[in-house]
Amino acid sequence: MARVLVADDASFMRQMIREIVESDGHEVVAEASDGLEAFDEYKRVSPDIVTMDIVMPRRSGIDAVRSIIEMDPDARVVMCSALGQESLVTEALEAGARDFIVKPFKPDNVIATLTKVLA
Amino acid sequence: MDLGKYRNIFIDEATEHLAEISSSLLRLEKDLGSVEAIDSVFRMAHSIKGMAASLEYDSITEVAHGLEDRMQGIRAAGRVSDADELALLFHGLEALEAMVAAVRAGGDPPPRRAELVSALTGAEASKKKALNPALPS
Repeated sequence: MARVLVADDASFMRQMIREIVESDGHEVVAEASDGLEAFDEYKRVSPDIVTMDIVMPRRSGIDAVRSIIEMDPDARVVMCSALGQESLVTEALEAGARDFIVKPFKPDNVIATLTKVLA
Repeated sequence: MDLGKYRNIFIDEATEHLAEISSSLLRLEKDLGSVEAIDSVFRMAHSIKGMAASLEYDSITEVAHGLEDRMQGIRAAGRVSDADELALLFHGLEALEAMVAAVRAGGDPPPRRAELVSALTGAEASKKKALNPALPS
């Protein structure tokens, strides 16, 4: 079981990811609704893995990844992207994100990606 | 997964986002280059698109995606080009408001708005046509 931080500005998406990861036996230890909060929550709870939305207010998911990786180079961050955001996903992977999942979420894909990154 | 639960969350969250789009467009009416308002409309449209896609509300997804695309161009340009473009953004808002209201009323996905989507994403000619349907194609 992994401890998961879910970062997304939409409560809808946070609840959907929570339901998917909990169905696989993981625990959501914190949620964040913007990039600044994601960084603060990462420092506070030291999760095993983060699901990070890209488009968020105050600080984008990509900037949050940069801050997290600078503080913890071993951080496992999975980006949540939408179709048409390929260049942003590439930027996030270059910043240190491990992988990405695409909205709309398919539970099997989300679980398979998290399992791969946690291995 | 209980999609009924997510439908209710969608209605609540989309309604809040549409109110924010509305206030941002009113700000743009006064200042076509308001970076904060441009960013806000972009993020809200993006968020509505993601939620609608998750519930397979294709028509809402398409209009929200069109609005997001248009806002991405506006972000790159640094400002809304003119009153016509602002009117088009209001058209997108009105369509999304009507679509979310239809979901709230009956739960059925509303019909597609192909012409509006192509105006939001496409050429100047289709933009003018969407604003004035009396124009010849």
